[in-house]
Amino acid sequence: MLNLFERDKLDLQQLSPEHTAINVDHLDLWFNNKQVLEDVCMRIPKNQITALIGQSGCGKSTLISSFNRMNDLIDGCRYKGSIEIDGRDINHPRENVARLRARVGMVFQRPNPFPMSIYDNVCYGLKLQGMSLRRALDDAVEQALRDAALWDEVKDRLFDSANILSGGQQQRLVFARALALQPEILLLDEPTSALDPLTTLYIEELMISLKKRCTVVIVTHNMQQAARVSDYTAFIHQGRLIEYADSDSLFTMPIKKQTEDYITGRYG
Amino acid sequence: MRQVKLNTHISGKFNIELENLRNSVLTMGGEVEQQMVDTLKAIKDNNAGLAEKVVLNDLKINSMEVQIDEECMRIIAKRHPTASDLRLVLTIAKATTDIERIGDEIERIAKLVTKNNLPASDAIKSSMLTIGEHVVAMMRGTFNAFARQDQKAALDVYEQDNRIDRQYKNLLSYTTQEMQQHPELMEDWLEVLWALRSLERVGDRCKNICEYVVYLAGGSDVRHASFENMQQKIEGLV
Repeated sequence: MLNLFERDKLDLQQLSPEHTAINVDHLDLWFNNKQVLEDVCMRIPKNQITALIGQSGCGKSTLISSFNRMNDLIDGCRYKGSIEIDGRDINHPRENVARLRARVGMVFQRPNPFPMSIYDNVCYGLKLQGMSLRRALDDAVEQALRDAALWDEVKDRLFDSANILSGGQQQRLVFARALALQPEILLLDEPTSALDPLTTLYIEELMISLKKRCTVVIVTHNMQQAARVSDYTAFIHQGRLIEYADSDSLFTMPIKKQTEDYITGRYG
Repeated sequence: MRQVKLNTHISGKFNIELENLRNSVLTMGGEVEQQMVDTLKAIKDNNAGLAEKVVLNDLKINSMEVQIDEECMRIIAKRHPTASDLRLVLTIAKATTDIERIGDEIERIAKLVTKNNLPASDAIKSSMLTIGEHVVAMMRGTFNAFARQDQKAALDVYEQDNRIDRQYKNLLSYTTQEMQQHPELMEDWLEVLWALRSLERVGDRCKNICEYVVYLAGGSDVRHASFENMQQKIEGLV
């Protein structure tokens, strides 16, 4: 039973290092001459779901992509400030990006299964990491598919092409592929915007169950989704972090007028 | 804290829905205020016809409560209001319950006249009318504070209940003395006592609505807080 009288909220300003999954410190980011993020400071708590909300083009996808250095792939990207995971600056020149991306998994808006079997999709990353023992791969694939709530639907056709799965199943397969690597942090960039409402609820349940084993950061345009699943929410506007608080407070009593205007659908 | 501006949503239809909801509560408030004015007039003039009209009109108040509740539920289901919009809808849902109960209390007072149970003592009747006038002023102040989302005005009205409570206690002890002198009229006196109690309860209901106004306008939940604590919360000291 939900206990209404005992709700723990972390103090995001005073979050201790052992409770911090990602520490963003005075982050500025530019694409060529255009500044996309401006002086973003936030501590993302471990084993919680943190949602990033804001209008299109506000910089939330850029911010989440910077957590596993996906922005490195974009020409003209430069930054100032730091992003620390477990006390290590991920932008340090000696940081192993491949290892970072194994620790910090990412799922995108559109399901992007590889053109191969369901089984091979899930163990693709594991094979890249050097796992080759068939029995170990089988176990890892089963566990990842179970974690992604897809096992029962595909266990009898693991070697069929992933392309024959429905959109919702493909997205869960992508989750399984990310989970197979046992990431510490899972980044979700609008993971349900291409899915129907029921499949969306399944994915949301999945996110909540994942909290026990990893930190989840989600970018969403769906404010009800942010309110439903996230523990903490950050509102970003024109590259600036406007408000960052526990979701209960932010969706009922936002402090900043810009946040209020955005979540209530007002023009500022 | 910012006031809830109803006309600034991107969705014009949502603006209209919230505005209509707010206006409906004010209309309902206006109705019960008029009910109270009519009841006091009926007591003063011993006008059973007017009192009967008040009793019948309570059905209209009840129906308004149901309609406003339905609209609140519809808005929550379809619009998923958040922040100040959510506070507005919740405030209206809760205030409507109190306004309906005010209607019930007024009906009970009006029945004093329809059942010909008015106090025999002119002094008691006159004191009752005085409390009634203060209650009407409190109701008016409450609905104005709600319409303007004015926390300070709500606090001023909230404090007025102390005067009503004092007057009620004085009148209660005076009425008890009268009862002791005329025990043969005990049944009639009990009706008078219930009516006095109803008057006092209307003040308490207004206090509840004032607390909701503070929540609506400022976001602070001041239920069960002391007056001083309310003041501090409104001034942002707590």
